[in-house]
Amino acid sequence: MKIGLEIHVQLPTKSKMFCSCPTEGEDIPNSRVCPTCLGMPGSKPSLNKKALELGLSLAKMLGCSIPEQTWFSRKTYFYPDLCKHFQITQYDTPIGEKGVFRLGDKDIRITRVHLEEDPGKTKRVGDGTALVDYNRSGIPLVEIVTEPDISTPAEARQFLSELLTSIRHTIDLPADGDRSVRCDCNISVGKERCEVKNVTGLKNVENCLKYEVVRQTKILKAGGKIERETRRYDEERKVTLPARKKEFEADYGYIGEPDLGIYNIAEIAKGIKLKETPIAMAGRIQSQYGIDAKMAKQLVSTSTELAALFEEIVASADVKTAVKWCSGPISANWKQYEPSMKDELVCIVSDFFKGGITDTECGIKIKSLMTGVDAEATAKASEDIEALISKLLDENPNVIEDYRKNEKAANRIIGLVMKETGGAYSSSDIVASTKKVIESRL
Amino acid sequence: MKIQDLKTINERYEMFTSCSDATETGCEFVFSAKDNLTSYDFETCAGSRILEGYRPPFDATAISKMREAGGFLAGKTNMDEFGFGTFSANSGFGIPKNPYDLNRSCGGSSGGSACAAAVLEDHVSLGVSTGGSIVCPASFCGVYGIAPTYGRVSRYGLIDYGNSLDKVGVLSAKAEDLAKYLPIISGKDQRDPTSCVQPDFPKEFSKIKSVAVVNEAIEGISKDVKQNFDESVEKIRSMGIDVEFVSMPVLKYAMPAYYILATSEASTNLARYCGMRYGQQDGDLTLKFDDYFTSFRSQYFGDEAKRRILLGTFTRMVGYADRYYNKALRVRQSIISEYKKVFADHDAVMTPTMPFISPRFDEIQAMSSLDIYKADFLTIPPNITGMPHMSVPSGYSDGMPIGLMFTSDHWNEDYLLSMAMEWEKSFDMIKPEVKV
Repeated sequence: MKIGLEIHVQLPTKSKMFCSCPTEGEDIPNSRVCPTCLGMPGSKPSLNKKALELGLSLAKMLGCSIPEQTWFSRKTYFYPDLCKHFQITQYDTPIGEKGVFRLGDKDIRITRVHLEEDPGKTKRVGDGTALVDYNRSGIPLVEIVTEPDISTPAEARQFLSELLTSIRHTIDLPADGDRSVRCDCNISVGKERCEVKNVTGLKNVENCLKYEVVRQTKILKAGGKIERETRRYDEERKVTLPARKKEFEADYGYIGEPDLGIYNIAEIAKGIKLKETPIAMAGRIQSQYGIDAKMAKQLVSTSTELAALFEEIVASADVKTAVKWCSGPISANWKQYEPSMKDELVCIVSDFFKGGITDTECGIKIKSLMTGVDAEATAKASEDIEALISKLLDENPNVIEDYRKNEKAANRIIGLVMKETGGAYSSSDIVASTKKVIESRL
Repeated sequence: MKIQDLKTINERYEMFTSCSDATETGCEFVFSAKDNLTSYDFETCAGSRILEGYRPPFDATAISKMREAGGFLAGKTNMDEFGFGTFSANSGFGIPKNPYDLNRSCGGSSGGSACAAAVLEDHVSLGVSTGGSIVCPASFCGVYGIAPTYGRVSRYGLIDYGNSLDKVGVLSAKAEDLAKYLPIISGKDQRDPTSCVQPDFPKEFSKIKSVAVVNEAIEGISKDVKQNFDESVEKIRSMGIDVEFVSMPVLKYAMPAYYILATSEASTNLARYCGMRYGQQDGDLTLKFDDYFTSFRSQYFGDEAKRRILLGTFTRMVGYADRYYNKALRVRQSIISEYKKVFADHDAVMTPTMPFISPRFDEIQAMSSLDIYKADFLTIPPNITGMPHMSVPSGYSDGMPIGLMFTSDHWNEDYLLSMAMEWEKSFDMIKPEVKV
């Protein structure tokens, strides 16, 4: 089975691709439009350079080769939501070609990455009537085309999910759910392939591909032949259906877009510094500081900011100390972290490292800073909980022995503490404190 | 400033598609603009019935610059539909008449602009050229007309014909008006990126010291035009300018390449006119959208627009694009190179503007489309290269004006403007007799 995807993602620019209309705002139909994005006679496009830069960042992230120059083309077809009846897109000079995306231990080859404008939206209301909203018209899109390197519908979903994570990280794309991604899915079980156009969201991509696998397999088993065709996905009924032939058999008659110039993108791309992807960061931290892979991955998956904080703490203390505190109380309270706390956290741990404060004091200071609860109360709470744990350990002396063989033995004490305190402490605090007290008795 | 009664004059000449009632403007000068330049205070239809009733929400940059300089927009001038023509006979709104003979054409496609410049006193008109649409009517109406370098004047608000060829320029009965108003409408405009690569308009105008006459251009022109051109050559020599005859064989490819490029672009530009959003919208809404578009476009586009849509769609189709569209792009480059070679030794190229004087309407009716396309063989070369070119009135044959065309290198409009003012000093213009 071979699956290839054409993925469309809107780029997070403030204004549209070829005019200064905002891309976001109140959801009043046709409120964010101007002569250019309505294609009024005499209007002209003017490229939003930010869209070009974001597209180039993605092409770079995908390891594409980037040509010296690029230009735009007109793709002509008639549809009410495409107001000029040509879409400004890229044809012969995509901003990136021949890239690759690492999915687990497999490479998914990227055929091309190009930029284009989004058309408006058609909304059908009742019989025979449709309304068109041009707010979306002219929003910049990046299209990423893969080779047919994906083997299963589940892998397609996994690929999309990881690709989206990398895209979000690279260009600060807000995570507004799965539906921001639109896909054309090409799938062949036998020799001939079918294309399912315009599938929205990860779950739908997987379901539509699953449906196609079953459909195509059935036809082949019955000795039938797969027709090469374009289909569409019905989200409600979870089936694919043949699309109207007329809509997709068009010859788009591409010509260069004469209103826009030629852009020297190799030069622009050189100036773009990519943020390290989470996966790359975990790998680097692991080898640079000699910590184990699981720990590196845990830091990065909690947040790349935590991993960055870890690196700063290493610089002012050492690796062992940084691992202890970052994986302990700092990650336990990570939800309350704010960037303004960074310098103070580094200070506290460095103080501990130099012997200025004790282990307990350090833990209390970190917790107090991150939760906003004052140090005395934190200390009191911590003393209380540690006293309770000590008492329970005294009552259950075999836990220490069992813990030597299997750390899971701590769970017995943890369960008892939770029961006795009835939700007064966070579970992460209880876990950390229990481990601390047990280890002090080993 | 007083202006003549435009409505009455227009009844006779049909140079305007819409014009002002005012007779007193309170402004420094009065101008008109070709009807493919958008203006918020007049309907703008580009000569097409498909846009009838369309009032743009914005001014074209060239028009707003003229207003800022103190100009009063008196009206929108008649033209061939979307600029598709040589005689302004392809308008959806009547045909402008030649000021020297009402049975003859003004030329096109900026025919109404040339007519207004010839007929009205103290009047300057903005025209647009894609393949010769400023110099052709300037020549037929006996006025000065300049099309600047591609990208010199912002095309924002210009209703596209061929985006890589369209240029906004100036027509007037006075050479000094060209020199005065072209710099006003020139300059970079963020709303048209193709205008943003130009050098500044020079304050001091350079003078032409040497011209090249193209041998291929004086073959196949009418006897009266040839005779007048020979006289012009002598006159240029008497002005102390060197004249050399050169051969530019590659120019014969300019016309096919031009029609391929212009119609390819035009066919995409015209795709948006479908009876939605603006202009005529009275189609049958019970039809499916593509049937609605088809019926609408069939009804309101003129024959020449349909012909050019078909031609342009064909030349960019899969399997034909390499043979036509992409090849035409290469031809354009080789023509530019040929001109650049000539400009290494000369300041300007000189040819007649049109191969004949303005034909009568009955003669035009007898011409085939191909005959009409061929009439542009002198004006297309400078247009396909994006080089500035200008027509000056150079004489009369049976009372009908003849024009002389100068072409200079990219961004060298100043050579042409100084020539126009120099030429005007020794040329006896015969003004048309204006009857109202």
